Amino acid sequence: MKKLIYPVAALALLVASAFTAIKSQDWKISDGYSVKFDGGDPSGEFSGLKGTISFDPNDLASSKFSTSIDVASINTGNGMKNTHAKSDKWFDAEKYPTIKFTSSSITKTATGYAAAGALEMHGVQKPVTIPFTFENNVFKGSFEVNRMDYNVNTAEPNHGGAKFKVDITVPVTK
Amino acid sequence: MFKKAFFHGIAASVLAAIAAIIYNHIYVFATETDYSSIINYGSMIGFSFAVCLLATFIYAGLVKWLGKKGEIIFSFVFSIISFACVIIPFAITLPLTIKMPEFFPGLTVPMVFFPAMAWYTVRPLFTLSN
Repeated sequence: MKKLIYPVAALALLVASAFTAIKSQDWKISDGYSVKFDGGDPSGEFSGLKGTISFDPNDLASSKFSTSIDVASINTGNGMKNTHAKSDKWFDAEKYPTIKFTSSSITKTATGYAAAGALEMHGVQKPVTIPFTFENNVFKGSFEVNRMDYNVNTAEPNHGGAKFKVDITVPVTK
Repeated sequence: MFKKAFFHGIAASVLAAIAAIIYNHIYVFATETDYSSIINYGSMIGFSFAVCLLATFIYAGLVKWLGKKGEIIFSFVFSIISFACVIIPFAITLPLTIKMPEFFPGLTVPMVFFPAMAWYTVRPLFTLSN
């Protein structure tokens, strides 16, 4: 029995060290992040970003993003537009309070990385790929969203922009 | 004539600026908002003086041109323009660094009326001195 103590201890340490390695890939979202959208008029930002970020440039297979944004945190700079955006005519924040992105795979690209996954907005889930970079503990990504794909005010396709450029900057800490 | 109109405008400017500053203090305290990068002492005083002194020129011109009718027309025009300007605070898009733009019209809509209110408030002082 005594003979087993050291092999078991070594195994336990090995398993524990593996968990340490997995933990080290997890990142916390820091203050100062920004999720901006620009469709000409309106443009603005969301401030309620939450989620888990697990990212290791050397182990993309086990990296994963699971994030959500509080729709009610939208700020266009104009109170009437904010109220309008949260109404059932647009995002319907009461019925669909969050916009979610969950990655299914992260790959290396020529300019950085690309996170492929599902973007859920206004009750509609669509596959998207978000190209991003990761430098100095800051994630930066940019992609385009067509609100018509997510049934956001389809009755008025020309009211404001249909396509929105989304710029995301997320500083993180371990 | 213009001298009296000028002092009328100055008195109205000072009164409107004081009203705006007091209301700003009360509103910011009550709602815990901060629009100081846009609405501050400088902008409140500047707005009050700009509107009241512009009104002075229009008033003096209309009275000189149309006499008593000019004063009546001026009163209607000043009130109508003030009321029409209510739309401006609702239409303004603030910088994204400013939180709670929903409360911005609550601060600025009453201020739009302060120059006209101040003008009519001090008007008897300058009429009675005729």
